[in-house]
Amino acid sequence: MNSISRDFAPPFALIAPYFMVGTIFYFVSIAALFFLDSTPIHSDMSTIAWVHLYLLGFVMMIIFGAMAQLVPVVIEVGHAAVDFFYIIWPMLAIGTILMVAGFTLTTSLLPFGGMVVLVSMVIFAADLFWTLRKGEHKSIVVSVMGTSNIFLLLGIVSGFIMALAFGGLIGIDPHQWLKAHVFAVFGGYVILTIMGLSMVLLPMFGLSHGFNDKPMQWAYKLMILGVSSVMVGSLFNLMFLEWFGIGATFVALSSYFYQIYLIAKTRARKENDVWVKSLIFAFFTLLLSMLFTIVYLFGGSEAWLMSAGWFLIAGFTGFLITSHLYKIIPFLVWFERYAPLVGKQKVPMLHEMVPKRQADAQMIFSASGVSLVGVALLVQNDALFYGGVSALLVGAVYLLYSVYTMMQYGKEVL
Amino acid sequence: MSVVTEEEVYKAISTVIDPEVGFNLVEMGLIYDVMVLKNGHVSVKMTLSTRGCPLHQMMIQWVQEAVVRETESDFCAVEIVWEPAWNVSMADDSVKEALSKTGIGGS
Repeated sequence: MNSISRDFAPPFALIAPYFMVGTIFYFVSIAALFFLDSTPIHSDMSTIAWVHLYLLGFVMMIIFGAMAQLVPVVIEVGHAAVDFFYIIWPMLAIGTILMVAGFTLTTSLLPFGGMVVLVSMVIFAADLFWTLRKGEHKSIVVSVMGTSNIFLLLGIVSGFIMALAFGGLIGIDPHQWLKAHVFAVFGGYVILTIMGLSMVLLPMFGLSHGFNDKPMQWAYKLMILGVSSVMVGSLFNLMFLEWFGIGATFVALSSYFYQIYLIAKTRARKENDVWVKSLIFAFFTLLLSMLFTIVYLFGGSEAWLMSAGWFLIAGFTGFLITSHLYKIIPFLVWFERYAPLVGKQKVPMLHEMVPKRQADAQMIFSASGVSLVGVALLVQNDALFYGGVSALLVGAVYLLYSVYTMMQYGKEVL
Repeated sequence: MSVVTEEEVYKAISTVIDPEVGFNLVEMGLIYDVMVLKNGHVSVKMTLSTRGCPLHQMMIQWVQEAVVRETESDFCAVEIVWEPAWNVSMADDSVKEALSKTGIGGS
């Protein structure tokens, strides 16, 4: 038997901005979809600008905030340099804005934006590696955190090289680096991190126990193999390696999907709250994305790829993140404002801090919007596209309201 | 010196509620063992529903405070253990029944 008793909860003031700023970036990125249409090209500057606005401003911002909270409890040791998190989010926000301006207004801003983002992520990675070295507890989640951080560094360095090329400072073809950059950042960092965090958060909130974690171990190894192969294959024009990597990534995602099924099957808590409903939609869109990618790889038009990409980043990633905002934010607020009052006065349960009707409305409008835009990209219909974006915007307003309400809950008790 | 019984200790710990699920630690089956020492000090061996629980340190503190507040004991030591790992079969029937309800539209 082993015991633990260490203090490693980062302060609320340090983490809260990540969730509030990330949600604002989500709203802005949804609104920005009105500047696109149903026939985007993946290499267009406007498409790339939107992807960076969404992935850096929303996805990375929220993941970094969640990691600030979860890294210590997973590794079972305090952050090596928790104060770093005070400067990471402002740098990430400024860098994102500069990069989006660089893609849409003048490419000369890209190296500056890229540099600020690079520094913010190097600081994040430095804290994580340093914290990992302090920790003694080993698990598949700890391994995933370390590996995904290496991919983050590879991805951001490749992105910075591309930013220098777009800004005219070095003479390489940035499009040749695109696939390596996308796979490193999105596959190697975002998806791998989501896989790892799934192994902590889904059993924790669903009270799942006794499930086999072998599928996750396979998914982890295959994802490393797949992402590395695509990166090397694309940089050195080795098509067979690229195809091998894409295949390995597919098997990794399938194995991860099976792991989620095993966790869901052993779930003791059967309540279907907004968290569960959002997760069901998230994993449904992951399946759709994989199916559409297969169609594209076997001769489908680019519309299949765009729709697959949309369902992956707006459906799977977006819903996985928003679903957990309804769990993580109440916990952070409760921990800050009510934990000291336990035993002294009546304190609320976490679910009471969620504005239920607005949360459900967010889920419904956002799911409708993601579905409509996904179909619109496939059939290339602008009316459907803007209808979907409108639904997404309503969902984003509900999300902003919900996040703000949860953040404000119990402020009077302080 | 006043005598504290194990029943009193369990009753004291049952005032500690897990804010995520809304059940107390005793009915959740998280308390593995309670010992009352000759000097009146209390020793509690417990687990948490998940190893990555961010509340684990608060839980220790709440259990210690509850025992000191609700019983005549003036000291309570809490040890968190991970073996055997908790599962829902360790919880009371009322908890199992409540957890198994799907709920409709609730968030």
